[in-house]
Amino acid sequence: MTLEAAEALKSALALVGYGLAAIGPGIGIGIVVGNAIQAMARQPEAAGMARTTMFLGIAFTEALALLGFVLFFIA
Amino acid sequence: MEDLILASSSCDTSEEIICAPENVLELFKFKDALFSIGPFDFTRLVFLMFLATAVVIAILYFGLRGNRIIPTKFGAAVESLVSFVKDDIAIGIIGPEGARYTPYLLSVFMLVLVGNLFEVTPLINFPITASMALPLIIAVMTWVIFVFVGFSKNGVSYLIDTVWPKSVPIGLRWLVGLIELVSIFLLRPLTLAVRLFANMVAGHLMLTLLLASGVIFIGDVGDIGARAILGVPWFVFGLGIFVFEIVVAVLQAYIVTLLSAVYVQSSVHPEH
Repeated sequence: MTLEAAEALKSALALVGYGLAAIGPGIGIGIVVGNAIQAMARQPEAAGMARTTMFLGIAFTEALALLGFVLFFIA
Repeated sequence: MEDLILASSSCDTSEEIICAPENVLELFKFKDALFSIGPFDFTRLVFLMFLATAVVIAILYFGLRGNRIIPTKFGAAVESLVSFVKDDIAIGIIGPEGARYTPYLLSVFMLVLVGNLFEVTPLINFPITASMALPLIIAVMTWVIFVFVGFSKNGVSYLIDTVWPKSVPIGLRWLVGLIELVSIFLLRPLTLAVRLFANMVAGHLMLTLLLASGVIFIGDVGDIGARAILGVPWFVFGLGIFVFEIVVAVLQAYIVTLLSAVYVQSSVHPEH
């Protein structure tokens, strides 16, 4: 395998790796936001609290996808 | 135009369908120093950081100076921002003693907000939080504060309760303690910095690629003829992302401040 082919394969693999890293957090954020909307619809007077907790949940879930994004550039 | 858009020199509009620079890292480096003081190069990024600091100080000074019975419109807007950080974030998350941490949280919120909004400010167009220096310093300061508060409120038991949690069955205690130790003292500051950094890098990259491609393709209409129509969807898509990035900039400033408050809260009341 030539050096250019190896380089091209490496960047392609990094792209696939980032795609894989985005699956889990994507599902996770969907669950978090979906349940937060359900909570807000059932209990509109507690919407403020649900929103704060939702942002916290999104921030924690998102961390893995962001690590994948950074590793994509490092690789 | 050539100086403003780094991708334009290496872009062959008659062959490619989108303009990307040879190396994306070029978008985040300002190699030419405006001037140097001793060993410190004063680049455009350093200038923007001083500008952001000056903007934050100016907003807070002109918004809140003097005692007024009826605030000006600008003063009322700044006051609502300050009371949002104080009541909703500091006191709402940390509890009644959270008012002590309002100055730090307000500084972080305002600096990150202004720094993020530089991304969508015309003629600046560079988020200073997209260089790792600023998020990392904010994360390290938050780390120092919550570790210091943890030890001063709870003494050595802050560390002992972390590595040897009493509420966990004895067989698993060492494993949970190890995970907690790594996650609190290593992963917390790391993810706090990387979250802000990666969000702003991603936004800056998308805006640069789409808007620059649109401008370059439409600008080359004399040379490539009908192919210039490719630039129109790039530009329209870029404008859509532009609006989205304003939301992201405000949201990320909120999340960094919120998480700093949550980390301090977990040190003030470690049993939760």
